[in-house]
Amino acid sequence: MSIFERFTEGWKKYRKPGYYREFDYHWAMTIDLDKCTGCEACVTACKAENNLPIVGEEEFAKGREVQWIRIERYWEGEYPNVKLGFIPMLCQHCDAAPCETVCPVSATYHNQDGLNTQIYNRCIGTRSCAVYCPFEVRYFNFNDHHWDSPLDQQLNPDVTVREKGVMEKCTFCIQRIRQAKDDAKDDGRRRVRDGEVQPACVQSCPSNALVFGDRKDPDSQVAKSMKDPRAYRVLEELNTDPSVVYLKKVDAKG
Amino acid sequence: MPKIERREFLKLVGAGSVGVGAGFMLRETIKHPPEYLIPHVVAPEDFSTGIATWYNTVCSMCSAGCGISVRTREGRAKKIEGNPNHPVSQGKLCGLGQSGLQVLYNPDRLTGPLQRMSARGGETFEQITWNEGLSRVADRLDLLRAAGRGNRICLLSQGVGGHLAQLFELFMAELGSERLLHYDYDHPHTLYAANRQFFGEEHLPYYDLKNTRYLLSFGADYLGNWISPVHHSLGFGHSRQGRPDIRGRFVQIEPRMSMSGAAADEWIAAKPGTEGVLALGLAHHLITQGYYQGADLDAWRQALRDYTTTQVAEQTGVATTTITRLANTFARSQSSLAIGGGIAANHSNGVDTLVAVNALNYLVGNLGKEGGLLFNPEPAGSVSHPRQASFRTMLKLAKDAREGNIEVLILNGTNPAFTMPAAAGFTEALSEIPLIVSLSSFMDETTALADIILPSHTYLESWGDDFPEPGVGFPTGAVSQPVVSPLYNTRATGDIILTLAQHSGLSDAIPWNSMEDCLKDGWREIYERADEETRTESFEVFWRSMLKAGVWGEKSQRDQTFTLAEGVIDNIGVAPPEFSGSPDDYPFVLHPYISNSFHDGRGANLPWMQELPDTMTSVVYGSWVELNPVTAEGLGLKEGDLVDIESPHGRVRAPVYVYPAIMPDVVAMPIGQGHSTYGRYAKDRGVNPIEILSAQMEPHTGSLASSATRVKIVATGKRVELIKTGGTSRDLGREIVQRFDPTAQSKTGGAHSTQLNSIPITTVTT
Amino acid sequence: MQAETNDLQYADVNNDIVRSIVETGPRYYVALGIAGGVALLCFFFPWFYQLYFGIGAAGLNHPGVWGTYLASFIFWIGLSHSGTLLSCVLHLTNSSWRKAMYRSAEAMTLFSLMVAATFVMVHVGRPWFIHWALPYANQMEMWPNFRSPLLFDVMAIATYLTGSSIFIYMGSIPDFAAVRDRTTGWRNTMYTLLSLGWRGTDREWHRLHWAYTFLAVLIIPLAVSVHSIVSWDFAMSLVPALHQTIFAPYFVVGAIYSGTAGIVTVMFVLRRYMNFEQYITKVHFDNLGKLLLLLSLIWTYINMVELFTAWYSDTSTEHEALSYKLFGYYAWLYWEMIAFCAVAPLLCISGRFRTSMVPMLILSIAINIGMYTERFLIVGTSLSRQYLPDSWGVYVPSLVEMSIILGSFALFTTLFLIFVKIFPSVSIYEVKETMDTPTVTSNAEPIAPPEGSPA
Repeated sequence: MSIFERFTEGWKKYRKPGYYREFDYHWAMTIDLDKCTGCEACVTACKAENNLPIVGEEEFAKGREVQWIRIERYWEGEYPNVKLGFIPMLCQHCDAAPCETVCPVSATYHNQDGLNTQIYNRCIGTRSCAVYCPFEVRYFNFNDHHWDSPLDQQLNPDVTVREKGVMEKCTFCIQRIRQAKDDAKDDGRRRVRDGEVQPACVQSCPSNALVFGDRKDPDSQVAKSMKDPRAYRVLEELNTDPSVVYLKKVDAKG
Repeated sequence: MPKIERREFLKLVGAGSVGVGAGFMLRETIKHPPEYLIPHVVAPEDFSTGIATWYNTVCSMCSAGCGISVRTREGRAKKIEGNPNHPVSQGKLCGLGQSGLQVLYNPDRLTGPLQRMSARGGETFEQITWNEGLSRVADRLDLLRAAGRGNRICLLSQGVGGHLAQLFELFMAELGSERLLHYDYDHPHTLYAANRQFFGEEHLPYYDLKNTRYLLSFGADYLGNWISPVHHSLGFGHSRQGRPDIRGRFVQIEPRMSMSGAAADEWIAAKPGTEGVLALGLAHHLITQGYYQGADLDAWRQALRDYTTTQVAEQTGVATTTITRLANTFARSQSSLAIGGGIAANHSNGVDTLVAVNALNYLVGNLGKEGGLLFNPEPAGSVSHPRQASFRTMLKLAKDAREGNIEVLILNGTNPAFTMPAAAGFTEALSEIPLIVSLSSFMDETTALADIILPSHTYLESWGDDFPEPGVGFPTGAVSQPVVSPLYNTRATGDIILTLAQHSGLSDAIPWNSMEDCLKDGWREIYERADEETRTESFEVFWRSMLKAGVWGEKSQRDQTFTLAEGVIDNIGVAPPEFSGSPDDYPFVLHPYISNSFHDGRGANLPWMQELPDTMTSVVYGSWVELNPVTAEGLGLKEGDLVDIESPHGRVRAPVYVYPAIMPDVVAMPIGQGHSTYGRYAKDRGVNPIEILSAQMEPHTGSLASSATRVKIVATGKRVELIKTGGTSRDLGREIVQRFDPTAQSKTGGAHSTQLNSIPITTVTT
Repeated sequence: MQAETNDLQYADVNNDIVRSIVETGPRYYVALGIAGGVALLCFFFPWFYQLYFGIGAAGLNHPGVWGTYLASFIFWIGLSHSGTLLSCVLHLTNSSWRKAMYRSAEAMTLFSLMVAATFVMVHVGRPWFIHWALPYANQMEMWPNFRSPLLFDVMAIATYLTGSSIFIYMGSIPDFAAVRDRTTGWRNTMYTLLSLGWRGTDREWHRLHWAYTFLAVLIIPLAVSVHSIVSWDFAMSLVPALHQTIFAPYFVVGAIYSGTAGIVTVMFVLRRYMNFEQYITKVHFDNLGKLLLLLSLIWTYINMVELFTAWYSDTSTEHEALSYKLFGYYAWLYWEMIAFCAVAPLLCISGRFRTSMVPMLILSIAINIGMYTERFLIVGTSLSRQYLPDSWGVYVPSLVEMSIILGSFALFTTLFLIFVKIFPSVSIYEVKETMDTPTVTSNAEPIAPPEGSPA
């Protein structure tokens, strides 16, 4: 193939409108706030699965905790007519992610699965992605982390331990996605079936508030639940096109 | 240009090389080894993930008995998830359960047998061998048994079920001792007693949250820590959004909004201890409005005559309209369900309150019905409840100890020195016991008083089994198996007991060599109980398939008909709660609640739990005291102000957290922190509110009325910064947590939301 | 100006300036020792500690992931601004009063840019990989992200640094030659190399002037773009109070403002301690005072526009960010900034104030403190109040950061002190151009009194 042919082919490919939205899979999550109880099982599951550091009291007090998924709480009203709404907040895997444009070294980018990925060993730690992220779900490793022996024996060998100076965030448990794809390939299938892969948070959620799947597959549970009339996205006005969709909490009167 | 000579050239080259080398060395020293691990974000093409081995076993972090699957790689436990086969957890698990890994890999575990070297109170221990430790204990036991004073031996365990409980029974019986006690701080004595009074049987029923349409919870934090939170959460999720066109509604009645209160559609604050009165008020409304038409209607009418809506509204502080509305909805939503427990039961009238809640279920016919309250069959194996020691029993034990009637105390896992109020004098009483043996895996407050410590395996290293109480409508059981080889020089609790039995020559009655044998023998009986046609061909096959599945169940249905126990209706009634301390001196009611992270304090040594923001307040690493905003303002207190919480029995110091959803005259504190020992993560962190509770009891059961202590708040003028993740917990009109009003929806034809919802769904092109 | 330099002869100029290079008194060594020592102790030592320990040595947290390092970076970039920019503008407008001070102003640009670049290294989490931000050809075909405003930044600063270096160097060539002719030994060798064989022919002068003017024209837009691009680091984010179109002019004005104030400070020091009283005169202070007044008014206007836009937007996010800035945790810093940068410079209305040295020094330092505060507030307060209120937090700088900020001034001073011993810190030939002399032969730049020249 001549250089010219290669050029024209590439030109055609990338001139197609919306080529950047053509993903192999389009992993997405819905979170039903009507089911979420704020129990934080997802938070613990994430810590266990993804080798999140134990930062210690001092660092925590400085605001340097690492929680790829966290529960935010918003009170409404005053006593006695007071309500509390929980909302799990994790990387929204935006399809128009501000963090991806700002990284000077492309350490964070969108991959073929529609995931917003973070390449730890490319990261130089400018922390600008954390500033650009309106959901504030990016966590920086301010120090090297330490696990008091033998707590380190728990570390998941499928997930790297991040060193000081790099940014990290939710990956939708990409190691599990990888495993599911490998399994599908071993089975002679082209695609992962719905329900075959679940991130740790979805897996653990005791009230099944979290649903994960491929939204390109119209029959998947997640695609269906995204069509729910209660579906909305947080900070929709910023137009970052998140892949995490929330289902409104039902507030029935009477 | 000056000419460079050979010498100078060499010098330059040399200096250059050294410079480059030094640069690389600097770079290498800055680098850290983890960088070389393969990140999956962009894994190399030829890389494939390792294969994990999963073991099914049983969670022991609380008494719910969830089945778990433990993921292991290269012989190390990596992650705990719920066992999808297990009917209680169904593949799900709470945060505390998942933190079980940090029990196993806790850096502060006891690594081998120890013997006390100093007087009690000091913490100087010396390592001994298992033989030395075991024979010292066995000799003492032998001596007492031979002298016929076996009853001076006491075995105080955490709540255990299954064959380990049976082994304890056997062992103590052989020693000739009656003193076999299980002790859990949060054991629902009152609920068992109320069920005995109302239904005539002392068991926990199955609450069918999954199919209910309307749930009234009187103080039971069923999603947080009450009885079986994971299973309740499953039911909650299904009830809410799991059924087409039906959405279960939840009402929570408690003075301080718990996690369940936040999840509920409506949170109602009744005065502390009057939840039962409110229940009877609802019952009264049901009777008078003709919702109940049973034969004993007149008896009910007579019994409830003092609980008219106005009277109840006055007593409870709940508006009359609310009472009638709740009662009407409760009666009309079929099936509805009322549950009670937790704070509502921790009063001097606890049992009466729960009886009143049962009465509500009875009056609208929720008993034995789908979506209501279902009766469980007899558990297939031993459960902990019959041996559970109430507060009163523990006081009796303390008294016996002081009088010198206890000579050997064997502790297994339980930590009464932490979970008993200081007013009970339990810790002091322990020091009168000549020999205390602890089988705990950790140096907790009670173990620190022991003379000999024979540390046991954690639950992930040992054999055991469990029969969940409450069951799930049919008999189930699960075997827990070791998922990793033991980390340290520890032994399984069952094996320690078996060795002691052998030492003491009890082999005839207790013939097993190991806990595994004991379990297998026990399960062989269960296997043989089944029909020959339905069971597998051999016990070994059955055993292996059960270990694989992690759970066993029996097909049998319980007849759901039931008769009201005699005299229930006549005795129904809830007395006003009694509090210790006068309202003038101590204006606030203290509400100590079980923390979701630490349970009764056992989770405080787990770093994940220490770093898990509290569900309601997002506080980590410490204690706090929750005050109503108005109360706090009245006292001139802000978040982070240190205050003394003073009861007639002592005081503790904690920072204020201004909590929007608590009654103005109630202050709440989480239980779990305030350990004086128990490892690096728990030690000297926060305070333990149990310390200042008065020794008030619920008269029927003798259980501790933990919400019956009055306190006062004394500002100290000092401040600390509360460590928490939350910034400002108000959304300031930013619509972060959005709400959906289905009634408004139907009016606009549902167009509103679909317009807003611009989420594109693309179809797959393969 | 002519009036004051009337009694000077060409030889005096040469002697004075060469003396400042060749003759080094003990006071200089003491000053250099102190500055270097402080730079080592307060800048490099804490930085190495931070390299070892991680960025955690700073007080950064979530959501305050950017802090004083970035504020310092903008500050130093800003300080760099007036030097070369001012010099270029004044060169093109033929303001003769520029001639005594432009060399040191340009040097300031150069060194502030260097310090700023160092702060980029201090700021990032893994400075040992900082070269990844540069577009260099590599076998893995890994390129930096050209969409990133941070990368624009790298480019802009690199260009500006290159341009400024060439500009200052080119302007110094005749002076190097002058010094070359009056020195011996290693200095002679060095200046021989630096002066590129300058002989002072007409052709050379002609070329020099042409190239110099060309560069001056080129650098002006560059200087404007550099700070606009720096502002995009912030303005292109979604953060409330940062996501504003006013940011580019805001930053440029702020940069020139703080840079001008910086020049006043440097000129005071040069005048007092390098015995340049005859070259740096009250006229300079008077003119710079007027410039400061003008800039402060523009700056105040932009600040008011910023507040207005936030209020007018009528969104919760902008309002919260605004009220946090005015009344929040760091409000005292905000009002300090207003006092130093908006109110205090109004004193420059008075001519007597402008020509009093010490008050002008104090004002210039105050303005730069205020401008540093401004940069800190842009980073610090905005990040504290973003979209999700439950993630709000406060960032407080740590001791390491404070020390590095302090040390950066020492670093700057050290570089400047080394500079004055290498470069003629006042332009020899241009000062001569302003002097009354029998006119020269060549067709070099006429010495007609420049239009609008204060003299």
